[in-house]
Amino acid sequence: MTELGSPADSTAPDAAGSAGTADGTAAPIVEVEGVTFRYRRASEPAIRGVSLTVSAGEVVLVAGPSGCGKSTLIRAINGLIPHAYSGDLSGSVRVEGRSTTDLKLRDLALTIGTVLQDPAKQIVGATVEAELAFGPENLGIPREEILDRIREVAAQAGIERLLGRETSALSGGERQLLAVAGILMLRPRLFVVDEPLANLDPATAERLLGLLRRLADEGSAIVIVEHRVEESLDLRPDRVLYLESGETRYHGPVDGFLEVADPESVRLPFDVVARRVADVPDTEPPAMTLGERHAEPVDPTPRLEFRGVTASIGETEILHGVDARLGTTETVAVLGPNGSGKTTLFRTAMRLLDITGGAVLVDGRSIADRRTVDLVETFGYVFQSPSQMLFARTVEEELLFGPRTMGRDPARFEELVDDVLRRTALADLEGIRERPPLAMSFGQQKRLALAIALALRPQTLILDEPSAGQDHRTAQAFMREVTAIPGLESLFFVTHDVDLALTHADRILLFRDGRVLADGSPMQVIADTERWRACGLRVTSLMEANTRYRGADGKFLDADTLARRVIAQDPTRRWGPGREAAAGGLLTDQS
Amino acid sequence: MTSTTMSSDRLWEVTSRTIVYAAIGAALYGILLVAQVPIPGTTVSVRPAFALVPFFGYAFGPIVGFFTGLVGNMVGDQISGWGALTSWNWSIANGLVGLIAGLAPLYLRRWTEGSLRDRAIGGAIAGVIATIIGFLFTFSDLIIQAGNTFGGVLSFYFAVIVADIIATVILVPILVYAWEPVKAQLGR
Amino acid sequence: MNIAPRYLGRGSWLARRDPRVLILVVALYIFTVLQVWDIRYLLVLLLLAVLYYRTANIPWHYIRRNWMVVFTFIGLLVVVNLIIGGGATGDITLDEAHVIFYLPLLGTPMSAESLSLAVTLFLRYLAMATIGFPVAFAVAPSDFGIAFRRLGVPDKFAFGVDLTFRFLPSLAADFQTTVDAQRIRGYDWSAGAGRGLLTRLRRSTPVMVPTVVNAIAGAEDTIDAMDLRAFGTGKRSWFRALKFDSTDRLVLLAFLGLLLLFTILGFMGITSELYVFPFLLDMAGA
Ligand SMILES: Nc1ncnc2c1ncn2[C@@H]1O[C@H](COP(=O)(O)OP(=O)(O)OP(=O)(O)O)[C@@H](O)[C@H]1O
Ligand SMILES: Nc1ncnc2c1ncn2[C@@H]1O[C@H](COP(=O)(O)OP(=O)(O)OP(=O)(O)O)[C@@H](O)[C@H]1O
Ligand SMILES: [Mg+2]
Ligand SMILES: [Mg+2]
Repeated sequence: MTELGSPADSTAPDAAGSAGTADGTAAPIVEVEGVTFRYRRASEPAIRGVSLTVSAGEVVLVAGPSGCGKSTLIRAINGLIPHAYSGDLSGSVRVEGRSTTDLKLRDLALTIGTVLQDPAKQIVGATVEAELAFGPENLGIPREEILDRIREVAAQAGIERLLGRETSALSGGERQLLAVAGILMLRPRLFVVDEPLANLDPATAERLLGLLRRLADEGSAIVIVEHRVEESLDLRPDRVLYLESGETRYHGPVDGFLEVADPESVRLPFDVVARRVADVPDTEPPAMTLGERHAEPVDPTPRLEFRGVTASIGETEILHGVDARLGTTETVAVLGPNGSGKTTLFRTAMRLLDITGGAVLVDGRSIADRRTVDLVETFGYVFQSPSQMLFARTVEEELLFGPRTMGRDPARFEELVDDVLRRTALADLEGIRERPPLAMSFGQQKRLALAIALALRPQTLILDEPSAGQDHRTAQAFMREVTAIPGLESLFFVTHDVDLALTHADRILLFRDGRVLADGSPMQVIADTERWRACGLRVTSLMEANTRYRGADGKFLDADTLARRVIAQDPTRRWGPGREAAAGGLLTDQS
Repeated sequence: MTSTTMSSDRLWEVTSRTIVYAAIGAALYGILLVAQVPIPGTTVSVRPAFALVPFFGYAFGPIVGFFTGLVGNMVGDQISGWGALTSWNWSIANGLVGLIAGLAPLYLRRWTEGSLRDRAIGGAIAGVIATIIGFLFTFSDLIIQAGNTFGGVLSFYFAVIVADIIATVILVPILVYAWEPVKAQLGR
Repeated sequence: MNIAPRYLGRGSWLARRDPRVLILVVALYIFTVLQVWDIRYLLVLLLLAVLYYRTANIPWHYIRRNWMVVFTFIGLLVVVNLIIGGGATGDITLDEAHVIFYLPLLGTPMSAESLSLAVTLFLRYLAMATIGFPVAFAVAPSDFGIAFRRLGVPDKFAFGVDLTFRFLPSLAADFQTTVDAQRIRGYDWSAGAGRGLLTRLRRSTPVMVPTVVNAIAGAEDTIDAMDLRAFGTGKRSWFRALKFDSTDRLVLLAFLGLLLLFTILGFMGITSELYVFPFLLDMAGA
């Protein structure tokens, strides 16, 4: 293993890579054969009889709903299974012809580089250089060589300007790029990337995919796990492995995948949805916004108003004069790049962060003289990561913590708990009241966090990244449930999921560098694609479709609904990849 | 590892897991030490954060415990400006507390291998024992700070361990109860 | 809440020194001071410490608060010792001592000796703190790991120190988030202050538990990431190099010399005797 660790050997990949691309028939880097794995503590296997072969220069997309076993497959490939995770493993995984059970993680690290789901957690260096150097250091590579590689990799990943920075000061996007660069340092032949786009703004996402594509072109192999299929297609994957509940549903070229994939669990390009709506029964009505639900004319005094608000964290000013009015009875979505100040904005609204200039008004009254506690009746705030507020031993205690500290009437606690659990679709989980909150799944915790907010009976909900870390179906369902909550007047949410924002909001705030760039109805805001891109946002196929078929005053429709309407209007139209551009009439809301 | 504590044969194993937990323990201890609000009108402030030292030792073993106490206290001093090394013997005392709590499987089997409730109580007991013994090291002040009267050191010793024992007895079980179910989810 | 250690001495003469020097100097200096009980010599040492400290030119307004903390802490230490000493000192019993007055209420005797001792102790602590301070502000956080490594700490633990500094800012931010998350449920973290001890402790759980449990749970990914990059599978190299230049050698030698000098003086009994201020003796009417 020591000679494997030597720099001489670890430069091999490039050579092998180019050889691989020269004649298409390269020896496979990884051969997964009928692998079944059950985690030690689990009763059911997480993956069953999965097979996959990847050769140099190939890009394989692994897709599937949350919990289907994607990360488990990755662990089986990179050797964490069986070396770090114990359980029953059957079938075989061979890397460059040798079984992973016989290889050490140290040896595998030279062939397979893995980028995990959450960049913030996998970065172990306090500075960018330290992070890049970590892998080579562990292999005992001499420092001169490491320094050379750092320069080389920084250029390759386009992160030169990050050198010298402290990792804690990086934005989410920058972290993700750094994480990939850290893997590049080991010059692996196969890159395994687990949901790299999860917390990225679309611009950064495109940049990352570009980097991966280049690596593939240079002869490395890529296995990428991703919910966001539409974006992943930019990577031009050679094959798709589609998993459902641990089993292979499809394995083959992209086109075939688009035909079998369930449009509800993975988001597909609009033309694909349009081509397939016919086969799928029309289950769900179009998403409703609070603006639509509250028929009565919108109250002139907004629920939340920012007047030239400036705010700083430490020395640096984050918000540079924000002006915005968020209505009493509407759904407003805030879109913008990583680090643009979206979260900060709402923290000022809750007096969690003091403003340095301007004024924040709630229901027309300045909150300067109010404390956070005085605002909890008005706003229910659900944080980006739910577990950060969970501490109690049971769900019930957790739910009642707020009402207790607020001195609410204990007599009504029983019904309160029932009520919020029902509204958040948690009630049907058996023994839910007694469960330890911190041990629930991410999705469940997300719902519990919502229930906690509702337990204080707020008029308005503020959701930070409601869709992060959830698959298409779960995110959609979550938003529908929230909008359906009786008595809820308004909903403000921050997200990177463009389609989610556009389909569920009455109004969009485009945010960038601590300023509001645009404010208007979805259709109005997406009209200016230049500005849209300038905010680091992606023009999705659904947006294109909506612009094509809907008037500027129309409502932005979700793929399913829009497709059905289009077909209803012109049943004869033929759909092919990108072909719908051919003809296009405007749909109006007469239906 | 089915219980909070480790099986005694793996007590001294140093894996990446050990190092990461140790670093997290130390960082948290340092942070919460600084974040604490001193009680007006009392000489010694209660340090809820202190409970982390016996907890990390008890849950993740003597090495993690020692590192948490030693480095955590140094980091705390470092951030407060006192300087990581200025009172190094107090840092070592903290480290010993974590270490001794981490050895619980050797002297508290009856508790560490019992029900969740037993393990929570075991944590408190181990914490108390560890605190009493560990802080004896602060008597090194007698040599280092000769001129500190024995009474002086003694009174500091008692002031500190009383406050810290209370923190331990209350918080360690709470932490054990909170951590166990989560651990069951993760486990490798 | 700004918790991350602040590298305020950045670029200063002291910050350019090899971090090992700053660490060793503290040790050498502390052991030097320990030899000295004669406040006149102590003042000389304190002066040296101050000069040393100045070479780190740490902007005062950033650390005023830290110094306040240090002063109150030392003051407390000394006063408690003074009271408990009850007029006596380490080696002078009460009846040998020259009592000046008795504390009201407590009735504790205050002797010329015990008061002199108090002042001396105060200066000793102050001197040590002064030397210790630069370690807090003139060593780059990223240098601690390698420094300890080169001082003989094993690879894994030296890296553990690096990792600790890596976790500090992010965990501090998470902690802040948790505090906020609870505040919007009507919780007030500082409200416990002044209340009974038990209340205070119990009130800390809503912020302690999520911070701790999430930190530990979140570690899984970090651990995987380290295993996947072959951590601890063999001897590690360190990309950061420390260079120990001639200046470093000089500084170290100087403090070594200082230690030797005062050890000798100590043995000769020149500096090891507590200096009792004459004017205090006069007040005691001796
Ligand atoms: N360490 C573990 N111990 C026990 N069960 C686990 C462990 N990790 C995952 N599982 C279970 O295995 C199944 C597959 O999990 P996995 O993380 O592979 O899904 P995934 O497709 O990556 O989901 P996501 O898209 O949310 O990341 C899930 O039911 C999960 O609960
Ligand atoms: N605790 C903190 N300390 C220092 N800087 C911070 C802190 N929190 C946020 N920032 C900085 O403030 C800026 C805005 O952060 P914020 O979280 O509001 O952005 P965001 O729009 O929510 O980003 P994302 O979409 O990634 O959540 C960022 O540049 C970030 O680096
Ligand atoms: Mg996963
Ligand atoms: Mg945010």
